[in-house]
Amino acid sequence: MKEAHLLLLMITRIQERRSTMKKIRVALFLFAGVFLMVSLGGISGAQTKAPYKMGVVLPLTGYLSWLGEYMKKGADLKAELLNKAGGVNGRPLELIEYDDQSSPETATRLAQRLISRDEVIALQGTGTAVISGAVSSVANKSKIPAIIQSGYALSEKETFTFNNAHRTDFAISRPMMYFQKRGITQVALLMPIGPLGELGSGVARKYAPTYNITIVGEEKFDVKAPDVTAQLAKLRTLNPQAIMAFTTGEPAALLARNMAQMAMNIPLVVSHGNATPGFLRLVAQTPGTVIVPSGKIMAPEFLAENDPTKKVIMEFAREYQTKYGEPANYYSGQQADAVSLTAEGLRVTRSDDPVKLRDAIENIKNFPGCNGVYNMSPTDHQGTRMEDMILLTIRDGKWAFLE
Amino acid sequence: MNEFSHLIQFFFSGLTTGSVYALMAVSLVIVYKVSLLICFAQGEFFVIGALTMVTLTSKGLPMPAAFVLSIILSTAVGALVERVLIRRIRDMSVGNLIVMTIAISLALRGLALLIWGKESAVSPPFTPGKPIHVLGATLQPQVLWIIGVTILVLFLIWFFFEKTKAGIAMRACAENRLGASLMGISTQKVALFAWAWGSGIGALAGMVVAPLLFIQYGSGVMPMVKGFIAMSIGGLESIAGAVITGFLLGLVESYTIGLISSQFSDTIVFTILLFVLVFKPSGLFGASRSREV
Repeated sequence: MKEAHLLLLMITRIQERRSTMKKIRVALFLFAGVFLMVSLGGISGAQTKAPYKMGVVLPLTGYLSWLGEYMKKGADLKAELLNKAGGVNGRPLELIEYDDQSSPETATRLAQRLISRDEVIALQGTGTAVISGAVSSVANKSKIPAIIQSGYALSEKETFTFNNAHRTDFAISRPMMYFQKRGITQVALLMPIGPLGELGSGVARKYAPTYNITIVGEEKFDVKAPDVTAQLAKLRTLNPQAIMAFTTGEPAALLARNMAQMAMNIPLVVSHGNATPGFLRLVAQTPGTVIVPSGKIMAPEFLAENDPTKKVIMEFAREYQTKYGEPANYYSGQQADAVSLTAEGLRVTRSDDPVKLRDAIENIKNFPGCNGVYNMSPTDHQGTRMEDMILLTIRDGKWAFLE
Repeated sequence: MNEFSHLIQFFFSGLTTGSVYALMAVSLVIVYKVSLLICFAQGEFFVIGALTMVTLTSKGLPMPAAFVLSIILSTAVGALVERVLIRRIRDMSVGNLIVMTIAISLALRGLALLIWGKESAVSPPFTPGKPIHVLGATLQPQVLWIIGVTILVLFLIWFFFEKTKAGIAMRACAENRLGASLMGISTQKVALFAWAWGSGIGALAGMVVAPLLFIQYGSGVMPMVKGFIAMSIGGLESIAGAVITGFLLGLVESYTIGLISSQFSDTIVFTILLFVLVFKPSGLFGASRSREV
């Protein structure tokens, strides 16, 4: 009995050893295989050079998530197109994207992580002045170039930040230019309570005299209020020819709806943040004239043949439609521009040095993008002009080109 | 436009805003009356009701059918929440329960985000038609619907609490749980019923108000906060008080905007709340409860 037991034990031992041997052999085989592949990879490595890593901070969740989605789509597509065309200096672009949850604290943390851990060469993003301001401050501390997209006003000290969004000044003076042409001189302001409203009000008052416009009155409203007819009734007594409201999304749509309800048939200008399919859906059924300042990408078919941005915009719009099954918009175009501006800087400098990259972006001239023709300089880190903006309105439930 | 017509416009604006607050406050009071619990998830039922109805009507369902279905659905969600979550911690302190309702509120908001996405829904008014013009001021016909529904809800609640056995049982339960259970009233059933009612009315508020607003997953916060203020000023347990203060709050806001400044509307509302809490803590319409020690 005992012998039998021993025998059994021996057999299992041998089997075990055999299986271990087998395992070792398999492991060796795998090892050799991997080694072979790595060495082969080394030979063909000429094509797969280390990518240029760009950090992208986006509001993919939280209250700005609708915006983050478009931004991500635009950046992804642009990087994909550039990579398809051979990358930059023979090196591919790699976007490392993080979600800031629409919070400046998270954006700060992520920007730091992108720089210290992911070792990106440049940053870009995100929504609103506050959150992108946070990214800007991290970038300047670490001396890494950042291209932000928001109403954030750059200070002279922020030498590493670019802002490729249209200036707030343009978004307000562009409709005023239109008013002047149409003989509209009496304009009332209806601004949201908060910093955005203060900004809108200040800029509007600054530019009104330039375009021969009198601000006949100003009211404020709470963006969460379910009804704004009280403010509108007050403004109506001043007989304005148009109302300017620097607000975005639901509150802007509510203004349009309340104006229609009160049969106030005068144009309502809202902020350039409204050129989205979501906003269009909100006001599609509302009668009345809503004017939205925006970028040329919102109406590619209306661009003049000799417009320098036409080729870039048409191509991007086509690829976007193919990839995502929806038309490209202001935000996706804007983010795509941030990718192309960084790529252009890299192409020129051919260096991984952040200061040289900053200098290269700063010297970009006559560079056509979705948001217009960029002419950067050490004193202008935004690059576009007021003429790069167009005015949209809504006809038959669709965006229509106004001017 | 004369001075008079915009005074009327302020009134209409106040009615519109107030109707949102009033209905919301009623739904809060119902839950409170029976379970002595302020349910912070009420704003989410508002959203769920509104968005369910928008989805159903956009799928081609006729308005009345969508209306009834959405109420049934939201009521079921409310009952489910009570049965699965609230009942388990029923005997814990009020603090725990309130934190639980906040957790439920966040969870439901997340759920709404998953189901309906981030964009706001546009909901058609119950009856199509031009705004009503009165002496140069305008009112959306939907506001009449809201007022009508509020009156109907008030009547139903009054009828229920005063005339039906179940209603009387609910009141008894609120008064003294132990006593009620000793009298053979199932306190569990009553609590379940109160939650179902409360969430149903919250959803109803959302559904009738939706055509005035643009509702998305996070839209429940504003009505919840203002409804809660109306409820506190009105006296936590008074349904009529909640309705009256709801409309009053709306009117105070709109006249403040119209006659003083739009920046002060919240300040004045909170000042009123403070004064009421300091000088009449039981609320304007609340019976001051004297308890024997």
